[in-house]
Amino acid sequence: MKSAALVAASLALSLLVVTEGLANRTAPGDEPLPEILVSRQLLAARGLHTGDVVLLSGDPDGKPTRRFRIAGVYEPMPDPRRLTSERLEVRLHLPDLLALNGDTADPLADDTVTSINVKLTRPDDAAAFVREVTGRVPILNARPSRAGADDRNPFVVLGRFHLAIAILTVMTSAVFLLALMVMLADERRETIGTLRLMGITRTRVLKQVLAEGTMLAVAGALFGVLLAAATQGFFNALFQWRYDTSLVFVRVSASVAWRSVALAVPLGIAAVVLASWALVRSDPLRLLRR
Amino acid sequence: MRALALAYRSLMHRRARAALGMLGVAAAGALMFDMLLLSRGLLISVRGLLETSGFDVRVLASEGLAQSRAPLTDAAAVVAALEDLPEVATVVPFRIERAEVADRERMPSLTLVGVGPTEARVWTMLDGRDLAADPADPAEVVINRRLATKLEAVSGTTLVLRGRCSDEPSVLPPVTVRVAGIADFPFESTSQLTVAGRLPLLERLCDTRPGEADVLLVASQPEAGPDAAVAAIRRARPDVFAFSNDDVIERFEQVGFSYFRQVSTALSVVTLAFGALLVTVLLTVSVNQRLGEIAALRAIGFSRRRAMADVLWESALLVGVGGAAAIPLGLALSTWLDAILRSFPGVPEALHFFVFEARAVWLHVALLGGAAVMAAAYPLWLVVRLPIAATLRREIVS
Repeated sequence: MKSAALVAASLALSLLVVTEGLANRTAPGDEPLPEILVSRQLLAARGLHTGDVVLLSGDPDGKPTRRFRIAGVYEPMPDPRRLTSERLEVRLHLPDLLALNGDTADPLADDTVTSINVKLTRPDDAAAFVREVTGRVPILNARPSRAGADDRNPFVVLGRFHLAIAILTVMTSAVFLLALMVMLADERRETIGTLRLMGITRTRVLKQVLAEGTMLAVAGALFGVLLAAATQGFFNALFQWRYDTSLVFVRVSASVAWRSVALAVPLGIAAVVLASWALVRSDPLRLLRR
Repeated sequence: MRALALAYRSLMHRRARAALGMLGVAAAGALMFDMLLLSRGLLISVRGLLETSGFDVRVLASEGLAQSRAPLTDAAAVVAALEDLPEVATVVPFRIERAEVADRERMPSLTLVGVGPTEARVWTMLDGRDLAADPADPAEVVINRRLATKLEAVSGTTLVLRGRCSDEPSVLPPVTVRVAGIADFPFESTSQLTVAGRLPLLERLCDTRPGEADVLLVASQPEAGPDAAVAAIRRARPDVFAFSNDDVIERFEQVGFSYFRQVSTALSVVTLAFGALLVTVLLTVSVNQRLGEIAALRAIGFSRRRAMADVLWESALLVGVGGAAAIPLGLALSTWLDAILRSFPGVPEALHFFVFEARAVWLHVALLGGAAVMAAAYPLWLVVRLPIAATLRREIVS
């Protein structure tokens, strides 16, 4: 496991407890102290600075302690599962962590790690790699880090909820559009009647309505996508501020934009055609109230 | 003719438009009503679950509920200290680990619950009897209905359990247990397989230190109440952290629930604005088309206030009928949305995200009432500023 420990030494390991009383800001001493990195949130919460010497303990009682020097600050890896947790974390070299947190009675304590992260040359081979590792060393619990797209992944469920809300919102918008189009068609009653009396066929009038509806729906959908793209920064900034994270909450991707347009345009066209259908089918003299 | 009747006739004159307006308000209102149900649904549901368990105080080793896995190392001493308090009726040490059925092939892992010696009911018995207060030989367990079905087990069935208390396979010997009964567990998820026994069984399966517990479930004396019990526990044992159900709910509201509350607030505002905008557009177009009619009514003696009342009633009718239809529509939609969110992994089976309460209906009515007034503001302004003579002249000329 020695090589495994070396691999893991470069990994992010967090220590949960750094109490205010344990952190002091002594002047840099002569002794070469082990270095740690501190999360941005911890630095701000405890008023620490780069170069400060702090005492860390692996025990909730704060005993025993070891001195470390803060070498730098890092932004924790955004993790949606820890959205509401305060990211009060430090990163230590693995031997320092083991010395701090290991069981002194256990002779294997300095050669024990919780997990080993493996970066594959070809990430698509993760499932095959997991099968091979499990087959060779049955006592190891290997699993791909990428979450599956099924109900065991909470973000798949959350995505499904947001999609349901989006569908309901678009359907409500379609009713709104239908009401507007009914009013517009009502105002054009006499125009359509006159056109029909002039000899313009129903099909021609309907084509004109269809063209107008398509233009309106496409313009509306594009405006919606542009508005979402323009305001996504605001929403991200708002939620990043609220949760103190660098997680991205809103991203208007090409796929999302296409899906929105594909849903909104047919609904918009349908609303326009439906609103005008009765007028196009009516007797021209009735439309002119004669 | 009264203003309401005139408003009704105005709407009936353009039925399709009025129906679409009401439908639009109903759709937007239903979504808003759902968001009102979501805004407190999880809290109400969690509170219900906490209160039905019969324990109103929880004692942990750490301050943060999220870190409640830090065990109480001297649980037995804490239990003894708490049981002496006059404000406390019952104390039950509680611990959760994982286990598996060793004598069956392809069994998923089980949730292993360990409780201290108590006669208090931590779960609801469905069949058989509860665990005996004293450890028996072989050890007794209570299992949930799902596990009983999967194992085809009944009271008296013998199982062989092996602890799975870490990622590594257990080297401890398996333990033979006898099923005493089948029970419903309050916080279990839809797919959870649960087996519960006394703490010594869990200690044998997981090699945990005797006397450790994740949490102490405390029932306060009815005459003292949970707040007095929490205060007494804090005085007696300042080294542990006691939380009443209200404290748990408050923390949950601050941390775990904030995302849904914000989604609910944002969508409520958007849907309310949406509904108000729809009614504003409908009323504005309606007023613009009836400017001549309104001017004529004013000319024959209808007061400005009366003309305004007509517009306001039209708005109230559109929003009122749409808003009333929104409640059953919203309830139907909330069943669907609740089913989506309840498929979150690990969510307790009895937990709901959308919960009906009278407060949501009153809030819905108040918000829609405000929206009706807001939607009528611009058309009202048009009516108030209407020049009677100039409008009539324009009507005649056109």
